[in-house]
Amino acid sequence: MKVQVLFFGATADETGEREIEFSLAENTNANQAFAEIVEKFPRLKNHKLLFAVNQEYASGGEIVKGGDELAVFTAVSGG
Amino acid sequence: MDFFEITNDPLDVGAIARRVVPANCGATITLDGYVRQFTKGRETLHLVYEAYEPMALKEMEKLIAKARERFEIENVGIVHRLGKLEIGETSVVVTVAAPHRRAAFEACEWLIKELKRTVPIWKKEVYRGGEIWIEGEPAIKN
Repeated sequence: MKVQVLFFGATADETGEREIEFSLAENTNANQAFAEIVEKFPRLKNHKLLFAVNQEYASGGEIVKGGDELAVFTAVSGG
Repeated sequence: MDFFEITNDPLDVGAIARRVVPANCGATITLDGYVRQFTKGRETLHLVYEAYEPMALKEMEKLIAKARERFEIENVGIVHRLGKLEIGETSVVVTVAAPHRRAAFEACEWLIKELKRTVPIWKKEVYRGGEIWIEGEPAIKN
């Protein structure tokens, strides 16, 4: 199945991407999905990362579904 | 009539603060967050803000709901600007109206602290000699 993965700020710079399509096995949970994404873009390991699934902070155990919107970003710094 | 918005346009702090003036309130406390020139001796030239906009708006909405549970307040407005901001330009406005000022002060402080911790917005600092995406405290547990 395929999901969208979004990157912002530092993670966009590290990956050279802002939005990609990413293939995952069925019944992959969020922790596994994000581990696979980080493996594909090892430079992300230089950062403490936060993850979101469908615009909510990921808890980790939730099962990712085809078409979901995942996001990988660094600790936020607005304000 | 709470409001929470993200814009690329300059922010008019006074106008935002006066957008909602509830009849049962006596004070509006407004934070005008703007671009600082010197941080621990390093000179900032300008900042560039970027957001995960749909998620940032959802997180702002959640913050307002939580603030309403914690404080005796009547109305909240949050507006964050994106893009390139020069020194002294307003990046964020948090405005809280309440029947009495104390709750508004406390809610305003709580809201900006939580916004900086949870709302997915990032700033890139362009300084003399380089640039860096600022990474906040990783307070959200995944």
